[in-house]
Amino acid sequence: MVEPAIALFGAAYEKSVTVLDDLLRESGARYALLLDRKGFVLAHKEALWAPRPPSLDSLATLVAGNAAATQALAKMLGEPRFNELLHQGTTHGMYAEEVGELALLVVIFDTSVPVGRIKLYGKRAVSALETLTKDAVVNPAKMGIDTEYRDGASALLDELFRN
Amino acid sequence: MSTINFAAREINFKIVYYGPGMSGKTTNLKWVFQQVPPNRKGEMISLATEDERTLFFDFLPVDLGEVKGFKTRFHLYTVPGQVFYNASRKLILRGVDGVVFVADSAPNRLRANAESMRNLRENLNEYGIKTEEIPLILQANKRDVQDALPMEMIQAVIDPESRYTIHEAIATNGTGVFETLKAVSRSVLSRVVAAG
Repeated sequence: MVEPAIALFGAAYEKSVTVLDDLLRESGARYALLLDRKGFVLAHKEALWAPRPPSLDSLATLVAGNAAATQALAKMLGEPRFNELLHQGTTHGMYAEEVGELALLVVIFDTSVPVGRIKLYGKRAVSALETLTKDAVVNPAKMGIDTEYRDGASALLDELFRN
Repeated sequence: MSTINFAAREINFKIVYYGPGMSGKTTNLKWVFQQVPPNRKGEMISLATEDERTLFFDFLPVDLGEVKGFKTRFHLYTVPGQVFYNASRKLILRGVDGVVFVADSAPNRLRANAESMRNLRENLNEYGIKTEEIPLILQANKRDVQDALPMEMIQAVIDPESRYTIHEAIATNGTGVFETLKAVSRSVLSRVVAAG
């Protein structure tokens, strides 16, 4: 069995971005990301006042790895799951929560923002995003990649990995 | 399975380097990182112990460029090879699109190669994937070691039915690294096309 993929686009993508935007505005957080469990970014939003975020790919990969390890720990302890991840440093904090079976919501915030507010608006965003991501699950066989795409990508492989 | 982000017009594929401890999985990634121009790669992340053994994974995103309006990216991962890190190894395989199995050519590593391949089968099975269903490329690394195992012997223990292509490599100087990566990438692309 191949794991299903989430393909967010069009109205669903726009709605997801709006949910992330509302979350940032209401909670006062810096960055909000919607990831799939494999560590790929599906949508993200930055607060207008926030500086450029760190590499989103790296962030997504590490959070997905962290979340996967946390779920494995939960199972070892006989728990069906640990619902959220919370890390707090001296100036920044990170909150991550599951969005259904296939996605994760990540919120990066300043520690001056109360954690309770992040969790409250985070959970509200999760419930909206859960419906959106569930509707965006596609059969990998229907992703529309054709031979023309393959041949183009193959030519680029030769160009990039020329010895 | 590959992730398409229509909004960002990106197609992402996940490729995992698997194999026994010290076979050169991280060295493969480091070579790619050194050779690919800065505008075509992201930062390389290594979650390793102080003596540079992979603890959780290494990660390197590579931008292939734009194809039919879609930015195509390969996310390269390695797993920790040491036997006792199996729990972490299993997690990295989630959503994998293609696997490079890096075998060690050192004469005393024949059994380790065989056990690692068996472990790969078992871990893929836990995700409901059979090894035949996923693009898998074999690499016999460290061909420069003294008394390197013959290629046929390595293939016989990891791929007794000679089902897969095996590439010779010396990852420390880059020999065979790109060939292997190109082979698995092409295989991944072909599979996605076939699925459509």
